Amino acid sequence: MTRLRFPWLFLSVALLLAAAYLFPLYWMYVTSLKGASEIFANPPTFWPRDPDPAIYPETWIRRTMPVFLWNSVVIAAGVTALTVLLGTGCAYVLARYRSGWIDVALFVILMLQVLPASVMITPLYVGFNQIGLLDTPRLAVILAAAAKAVPFYIVLVRATFMNVPRELEEAALVDGNSRWGAFFFIVLPLARNGILVLAILTFMTAFGEYIYSRSIITEPRYQPASVGLSGFLGPNSTQWNGIMAYSAIYVTPILVLFVILQRRIVSGLTAGALK
Amino acid sequence: MRRIVSSLVDGRGFDILLVGVTMLFLLVMAGLPLVYNVLMSFQQVDMFTLGAWVRPWAGWDNYRAVLSQPEFPLVMRNTAVFVFGSIAGQFVLGFAFALFFMLRFPFAATIRGLFLVSWVMPGLVVGAIWSWMLAGDYGVVNAILSGMGLVDRPLFWKSDPGLSIWAVTVANIWLGLAFNMLLLSVGLAAIPRDLYEAAELDGAGAAQRFATITLPMMRSTIGAVLALGLIYTLQQFDLFPAITEGGPANSSNVAQYWAWQWSFQVFDFAKGATVSVMMLAFVLVAAAAYVWSTRSEVRG
Repeated sequence: MTRLRFPWLFLSVALLLAAAYLFPLYWMYVTSLKGASEIFANPPTFWPRDPDPAIYPETWIRRTMPVFLWNSVVIAAGVTALTVLLGTGCAYVLARYRSGWIDVALFVILMLQVLPASVMITPLYVGFNQIGLLDTPRLAVILAAAAKAVPFYIVLVRATFMNVPRELEEAALVDGNSRWGAFFFIVLPLARNGILVLAILTFMTAFGEYIYSRSIITEPRYQPASVGLSGFLGPNSTQWNGIMAYSAIYVTPILVLFVILQRRIVSGLTAGALK
Repeated sequence: MRRIVSSLVDGRGFDILLVGVTMLFLLVMAGLPLVYNVLMSFQQVDMFTLGAWVRPWAGWDNYRAVLSQPEFPLVMRNTAVFVFGSIAGQFVLGFAFALFFMLRFPFAATIRGLFLVSWVMPGLVVGAIWSWMLAGDYGVVNAILSGMGLVDRPLFWKSDPGLSIWAVTVANIWLGLAFNMLLLSVGLAAIPRDLYEAAELDGAGAAQRFATITLPMMRSTIGAVLALGLIYTLQQFDLFPAITEGGPANSSNVAQYWAWQWSFQVFDFAKGATVSVMMLAFVLVAAAAYVWSTRSEVRG
């Protein structure tokens, strides 16, 4: 493609597009800073007349957000740990060989990646109920959500392992390392960045998990932040500044993490984006 | 015994162990429930038989009951609107944005990366924000539309039965646009530049270059993106409880939310299983298309 004649013109169009696309996020923050009467102003004000962050501590306490957020962290950490533990080694082996069996395994994993959570929740709930896993509801959610995260993780981490030169590993084996030694001391350090990015992505996804938690966890003290949010959300909600403050508290850590790691996340995804 | 240990440390056993443990986990947590789901759709599963290991056999009764529900045609129609509306919106806008950001201007890649924010946000939060923006009386979308002179009275996105499915579809287009754009950008970047230069020298216009180079070269990417769009749209659940709860009067209910309602609001788990088995048929077709369109890259 030829060089553009007015690159700055295109840059401003791009900024406008991005601003329009990110408007919902802006609207979340702006609404949370408005007073109870200003949110129902017609037409709405695009900048709060009298910005007031008082709703934040109020929502934080009244909605018992520390409990909800802690449960979200527990669930997301559990899902991430289980996914990395199960997925990394499997992705490595699937990246190393080519055979009919590997193709079968890959096919199974790709097919599992597409199963909707809304299809899986009914049999999982009934099955968990029968074997008594519902008594430890957060563990049940972790297991269910990890089963959803592992295929995705394997497919993308496998793409990272494909880029690790096989010669380095073979040299380590010749030098007398066992397969475990070569894996842990040569291959894993080289694939570290890709694994880290995908672990963070897994964490972010699990941090927002909703359907399994909503269906499996009935006790409020074990529920994550997504279920807590749904508690005061519905077609007839009115406390919009509170809801937006809750949402802002919930997503700001994720957004900050995303902005910091943006480049790495995008390249980690595109490395194996279509696989 | 020693042979097994040494194989685990240094031979085939190492590979089989790493793959085997994971596959076993996936089989127990995903494969088994899948089979169980089909089994339950032929059983009678309600609050009384929930914990039982042996349940009354129902044959095709669940399927007959689901098909004869008065809301069944409506839910199917909504699912079709939601799926095709979402895919069309995400794909067309995503493609347009991807093409635009392929132009060489400063910070193009950085700004494009920002779009992906939507992809890491919890679905329920996205739903909450859109639910607020689409509110009938005080929603900002109506204010913008009437400010631009497009509507003369507020649209009741969430409570008008003719619009409610579109409220969720609009939110889902926003949610999936960035991912579509990213995947299409990857495909665009893989097209060799000299093809365009050669076509330009031969006097091909922009539209001609798009039709004769971009589209044919992107064929497998487009196939994968559309298949993934279908898969992700059928997976979308969080927006429904957040925006309309399937209402009013099921006018925005779709198969995936309906299945969940059967199980967790009506507590008729067999019907929930039945609806999801029906849905699964579509998902598997999409999955086959997806696997087919990515076969070369996956083996790579």
